[in-house]
Amino acid sequence: MKEKEGYADFPEQQIILYVEKEDGKYGPIQTGSYLSANYIDDYFDKRRNLESALREQVISGKKSMIFYYMILEDLSLSELSSRVKINKSRVKKHLDANQFGKATAEELRRYANVFNIPVANLLQVILIRENDLYKTATEIDNKIKDNSLIQQVTNNPFVTETKIKECK
Amino acid sequence: MVIGNFQHKMAAHCESGTITSLLNHAGLEITEPLIFGISSGIFFGYFHKMKSFPFPTFIVRNKPGQMRKNIEKLLGVKFMNYTFKNPDSGIRKLDELLEQKIPTSAQVDYFYLDYVPSWERVHINVHFLIVIGKEGARYIISDSYFPKLVELDAISLKNARFAGGSMSPKGFLFHTTTIPVEIDFKTAITKGINKACFNMLNLPVPFLGVKGIRFFAKKIIDWPKLARDTEHLSHEIMKINILLEDQGTGGAGFRFIYATFLQQVAEKINKPELTDLSRQLMEIGDGWRELSLFAARIGKNRDLGPEKIKQLSDMIMDRAYVEEKFFKTLNSVIKRN
Repeated sequence: MKEKEGYADFPEQQIILYVEKEDGKYGPIQTGSYLSANYIDDYFDKRRNLESALREQVISGKKSMIFYYMILEDLSLSELSSRVKINKSRVKKHLDANQFGKATAEELRRYANVFNIPVANLLQVILIRENDLYKTATEIDNKIKDNSLIQQVTNNPFVTETKIKECK
Repeated sequence: MVIGNFQHKMAAHCESGTITSLLNHAGLEITEPLIFGISSGIFFGYFHKMKSFPFPTFIVRNKPGQMRKNIEKLLGVKFMNYTFKNPDSGIRKLDELLEQKIPTSAQVDYFYLDYVPSWERVHINVHFLIVIGKEGARYIISDSYFPKLVELDAISLKNARFAGGSMSPKGFLFHTTTIPVEIDFKTAITKGINKACFNMLNLPVPFLGVKGIRFFAKKIIDWPKLARDTEHLSHEIMKINILLEDQGTGGAGFRFIYATFLQQVAEKINKPELTDLSRQLMEIGDGWRELSLFAARIGKNRDLGPEKIKQLSDMIMDRAYVEEKFFKTLNSVIKRN
């Protein structure tokens, strides 16, 4: 690849590409990600649709929030089971809304730790209103960092401090 | 406390970049393509069904950790390695090494690195970074995927170092201890190329090396049946571009960096034919890049009918053909006296 073909304008995600320079020597250049520069909106659209479809399955009582995060974070059943150190058949049960209640508090803590979310978020869906639409912060991030709502971990692994800011 | 004389550098790949930076810091002048090439980094493997992955995937480099082991063996440098059963011991050890001003590489799950943009974060246990300092409860990190030094809070680093699952890091740390006075680069380069050719041509497994590229070309036809819906298929098809271009490969699934390696070593080992082969590999890489851009385009347009998937499959099959020819020639050149 020639050097001039390697550049893409995306400051948020820089990468190193090896290219052919003008003198014929091959070497590195720093550039933006071509994919993100051109297709990031498509990624967010798909993410939003997936998140919405999963939320529907949770709210309708079919699936648990464990299923929701497992799919959202692209984990297989085996991988999740290995990460939370709970056997696969038990994890499989926890994915079902009707069996989710059998999970212990300690097991929920382990799931939350793997998903990098507060334990509380395995029991609730928080929607934030923005431009007349309700969206979840997980559409973009796994931790709620929106200006109107902040979730903070505490020294108590089961308690999350949620701060709601006044909207002006 | 920050190790002030450590020079942060971006790199194409986290493992080769980390090794390069650690060796440079220890006084050995060596480039990332040399590290990548000597350690036989170039590879291909396709995994259609693996319990740890929710969807078929492929790799374009050798096994994580192998670059470090190969470099140690072939260059004679020494690294000190640590793994931990107990996270607290792992945290203490890292802090001790930092107090001794030793830049230390850690293996982590990329997902827990808060400084990474959300769309890039995935659960993958084989990212390498270098910790170069600690200020209060925050670590100062040289991550070769970022233009500047970054910071990470102690809890996130702990979660990243002690994530479970496949290829779990177990708090793995390593740092340089010894650089030999003299290094036989010629032998190291020759052995590294030999091994790369063996891995691409002769591994007796149908999903690895050139055979793996062919397997990928055949199996991608089945992807539509495995996807939840069109958007999922689109996501997985576009991931081909990520795996080849964005996920720390230097472009074209490491083919560009390996071409650079061949160009850099042609003179060093007195094999001028390698210059021509490096040019050939650059062209092969252009074909991989064309393929990855095609995947991104059809994924974005949801143009994922059987004809387009077949077209993608043909492009992959074509890469198998040219790579087989390339590695056979490289093998014969490197074996010739």
